[in-house]
Amino acid sequence: MKSYKFADIKVGLEETFFIKINSEKVEKFLEISGDSNPLHTDSQYSKSKGFLNKVVYGMLTSSFYSTLVGVYLPGKYCFLQGIDIQFSKPVYIGDILKISGKVSYINEAYKQVEIKAFMMNQDNIKISKATIKVGIIDE
Amino acid sequence: MTRDLLLKGIQNIFRDIFDEDNLVIEDSTNSGEIEDWDSLNHINLISAIEKEYKIKFNLGELIALKNVGAMIDLMIEKLKNT
Repeated sequence: MKSYKFADIKVGLEETFFIKINSEKVEKFLEISGDSNPLHTDSQYSKSKGFLNKVVYGMLTSSFYSTLVGVYLPGKYCFLQGIDIQFSKPVYIGDILKISGKVSYINEAYKQVEIKAFMMNQDNIKISKATIKVGIIDE
Repeated sequence: MTRDLLLKGIQNIFRDIFDEDNLVIEDSTNSGEIEDWDSLNHINLISAIEKEYKIKFNLGELIALKNVGAMIDLMIEKLKNT
């Protein structure tokens, strides 16, 4: 786990990590969230709607934005304050996601950091982007 | 930039942060008058103003502010130096 303190953080600081989406993650998300919408659980239904297969929950993939800030940027001293996410392409089981974030703005007075983040799949297609606001609790 | 223009400019920021399209602010407006003006939205407000006007506040300056009018006074001072 990274542990950037406020003084270490500069505009432009970047972190990236990768994660593979497997069926176990999707099943666990179904169990936790109770979101049984057939788009995520029934491949026949999702294909009938024009998708290649069952669509992985957007909020499951978004949970990796939590990982981005909580583990990588800034890591240990993170306190998530807000996130604005836009989805652009579907994610399927078996996809490998690259999650990246870059510090875009620093509020010096209140130790709040804004991070522009995005996810790409293994075909280098952007599947979502996010603006994340985190507090730094390093004292 | 005139004081009126600044007031109109930050009014748009207030409307965005507090999700109130018809919100009207004046010099005397303070955090007690806007229901959602909590500590987190205050940080979001300051960040939005800093980004829009390309100025930076320090904590001491912000603690001393009593209302919107005082904020605009501070902004005018800072914008003179940019």
